[in-house]
Amino acid sequence: MAGAECTEALDRLFEYIDHELPEDEVQRIGTHLKSCPPCEAEHQIKEKIKALTARTGGEKAPEELRNRILESLRAVREDA
Amino acid sequence: MSDTALEFEVEALSYMDQLYAAALRMTRNGADAEDLVQETYAKAFAAQDKFKPGTNLKAWLYRIQTNAFINTYRKKQREPKRSDAEQVEDWQLAAAAEHTSSGLASAEQQALDGLGDEEVREALADLPEDFRMAVYLSDVEGFAYKEIAQIMDTPVGTVMSRLHRGRKLLREKLASYGAERGFRDKRAASTTGKEV
Repeated sequence: MAGAECTEALDRLFEYIDHELPEDEVQRIGTHLKSCPPCEAEHQIKEKIKALTARTGGEKAPEELRNRILESLRAVREDA
Repeated sequence: MSDTALEFEVEALSYMDQLYAAALRMTRNGADAEDLVQETYAKAFAAQDKFKPGTNLKAWLYRIQTNAFINTYRKKQREPKRSDAEQVEDWQLAAAAEHTSSGLASAEQQALDGLGDEEVREALADLPEDFRMAVYLSDVEGFAYKEIAQIMDTPVGTVMSRLHRGRKLLREKLASYGAERGFRDKRAASTTGKEV
């Protein structure tokens, strides 16, 4: 059953994993997670999904796009 | 060319890969993404006098790209713009604090472990645009809520709402991929007569 501490921790979990909380709340929630396996399980799932999502980036701009942009930049500079 | 202008140019160009990756998430189409990035740089260089040195150039460029996307590309796409009103207020209610049973939680963790990057990429691409971009900017690009608010031109509360809802939807999609896989594995096992 979720008590008041659980409610606070679960409400703030996204801010906790996104490093958006002030230090005192980080401490309080961190302490709660250590002592509450169901909250910690929820924390792990949210962290895992964030990490999975983080892995999906990193595409590189095609060389031809880079050239197009540098070319138009040169054209602007010559006009100036 | 002044030192400031040169610094601006060098730093701005250093974000091209990231702007392109974000443009792919916005347009979901390589050709449009390239045009969008080119437009972003054209606008940024034309407006570089308006950039205050020492402030966040990366977020400034993302803001220009987001605007360019809204003005030029969103019109071309079929996805309608939702009003913000429907999504701001109730995220705390939606996030109603509940524990999952430990059995369910560990089943979910296992299912997540089996997911490949392609499935996660697809699930993210499937989210409504504002949710998709909030999750992308936070989880992939690592922007702070305040920066995402600046980029999306919206209050921090709306960013949090979009993140909550986007992640909730993403989690549901990932769970359904996991379930499909489990079903496939079981079916494969039953046709080969093996236990899983």
